[in-house]
Amino acid sequence: MTRSNTLSIALPALVVLALIIAPLGLDPFGYTLRILCLMLLFCAMGQAWNIVGGLANQISLGHAAYFGIGAYSSTILFGSLGVSPLIGVFVGMFLAAIFALVLSLPTLRLKGHYFALATLAAGEVARVVANSWTSLTGGPVGISVPYRPDAGFWALQFQTVLPNYYLFLGAMILVSLVFWLVQTSAFGYRLRAIKENETAAEVIGVNTYRVKLHASILSAVLTAMLGTLYAQFQFFFDPDTIFGVATISVKMALIVILGGAGRLYGPWVGAAVIIPLEEMANSYLGNSIAGLSQFAYGVLLIVVILLNPRGLISLFESLRDRLKGRQRA
Amino acid sequence: MEYLIILLQTLLDGIMIGGVYAVLAIGLSLVFGVMHIVNFAHAEFMMIGMFIGWACWHFFGLDPMLGAFIALAVTFCFGMVLQRVLIRPVLGAPQVAQIFLTVGMLFALENAALMIMGAEYRSVTTPYQTQSLTLFSYGSERVLVGMDKLYAFLMALLSGSAVWLFLNKTRFGAAMRATSQDPMAAKLMGVNTDLMYAVAFGLGVGTTAFGGSVVLPYITASPAVGSGYAVLMFTVVVLGGLGSVTGAIIGGIAVGVIQSFSALFMPIQLQNLALFVVFILVLALRPEGIVARRRS
Repeated sequence: MTRSNTLSIALPALVVLALIIAPLGLDPFGYTLRILCLMLLFCAMGQAWNIVGGLANQISLGHAAYFGIGAYSSTILFGSLGVSPLIGVFVGMFLAAIFALVLSLPTLRLKGHYFALATLAAGEVARVVANSWTSLTGGPVGISVPYRPDAGFWALQFQTVLPNYYLFLGAMILVSLVFWLVQTSAFGYRLRAIKENETAAEVIGVNTYRVKLHASILSAVLTAMLGTLYAQFQFFFDPDTIFGVATISVKMALIVILGGAGRLYGPWVGAAVIIPLEEMANSYLGNSIAGLSQFAYGVLLIVVILLNPRGLISLFESLRDRLKGRQRA
Repeated sequence: MEYLIILLQTLLDGIMIGGVYAVLAIGLSLVFGVMHIVNFAHAEFMMIGMFIGWACWHFFGLDPMLGAFIALAVTFCFGMVLQRVLIRPVLGAPQVAQIFLTVGMLFALENAALMIMGAEYRSVTTPYQTQSLTLFSYGSERVLVGMDKLYAFLMALLSGSAVWLFLNKTRFGAAMRATSQDPMAAKLMGVNTDLMYAVAFGLGVGTTAFGGSVVLPYITASPAVGSGYAVLMFTVVVLGGLGSVTGAIIGGIAVGVIQSFSALFMPIQLQNLALFVVFILVLALRPEGIVARRRS
């Protein structure tokens, strides 16, 4: 095993170990722990987006649709029928798969800008439906998850934030594992062939339509699962935040692009930078001037694209290579 | 006869609003046609135009129809600067970079407006807002057009024709079309393509700002107004074919008429839903637009 290989396994293992130990010293009801939870959740969301957006370069701006479907499915089932979110999560995943399938029929042959536009509109469709189907979703005022801490794990609700934290850590590792399996499999190579040159991929016998369809459904299902976890964590959400273009769809993509698109640790780096930054901006500035944190967010996106569209990881790598070159010389 | 009157009235309303949609969308189409960039932030320039028009009215008592020219000029210059600083570096970059750069611009512009202007809605009062013109009457039934809508439509027509004339009848316009078709060949023929890109972007966002100001008498301005019109503008442009000015005009009027007819039997949320669905279907079935692009 080469040195860089050892490093690429040892470093993430250390990070995971640190993430397991980290909350032990923190207040189990505390604000810091909540931010760490969000960081893990958004990392997992970015990783789910990374399967289609990163590997196949299909820029979806509508992943909020799957996220919201997951959140609403489990919450409505739990609220009105008392069905455990542990079952509701699978209903949400199933519905998201259906939505991805239906959406794929008209959109999967679209490329680049056109695909981004169509998925953006699809996310908006979900938002409009959630806003207007008041009898089911509660409409624009939002929906609450009934609080039943006595029901314990069956209700997926906990007395402290700590179990949530480990749940999110597990989800993040799971989604990353799925991404890694896809990335290193023949399926992943086909996705990357599509990214590099779709026509050429088709010529050498890749069924590009089917490969993209499978990737989209996989990504949608994982995103819906995370939507349920989010609902159980926040206890309240409304259509405009859960289906939001800025709050969910673009954020998922930004996390991946900031870290490095199509890379396993891209969303890790992206989420570790963005979420704490955003929370800090919100707590220090958010209340004094409305719009400042979103403004900063837009500027950050522009700066990332202009300075290094390949992400922070590649920045580290080029720095490391330069240092190595200097040592040799 | 009553039904006929209702139909005529609905058609007329649709054409009036559609003309404005057309002028809002022409700029988006122009930017794509020349630079091959989909500007996700484009609707924000409508919002900027509305605020400039509002400021001209509020501080100098200038009618929004005249303020529109100031909105055009200011946004044109602003657009040239934005193009030079932000858009030019990603012109040859992968589409991912282009998409997220303009998405970043969208957030930055909308929230800059929120920080400067606050979240409240701002509207103008003009003498003609309450007036209307009777075009046709039959017994007690009338076909009416509001003067504010009529003026906005005429201004839209004016600016749309001006852009068309500029592109098709001037040397500068010919150079711009040449840049759009083949930048390398245009450059070899001595066209300053960098200038063309900057002017195309400035003019694109300028016409949209112009459209924003002329609708001020009947649409209130707020920082979030742009995002409400973004999908609508994209629908118009995609219907007409990205990059075609004539297509944008036909697409605009088509969307206006469809919207006004669907208002007869659909609640407003479902209208928006129908618009999104039509948009996705048009993208899927005819991404080159309903009106095929004329090759000149």
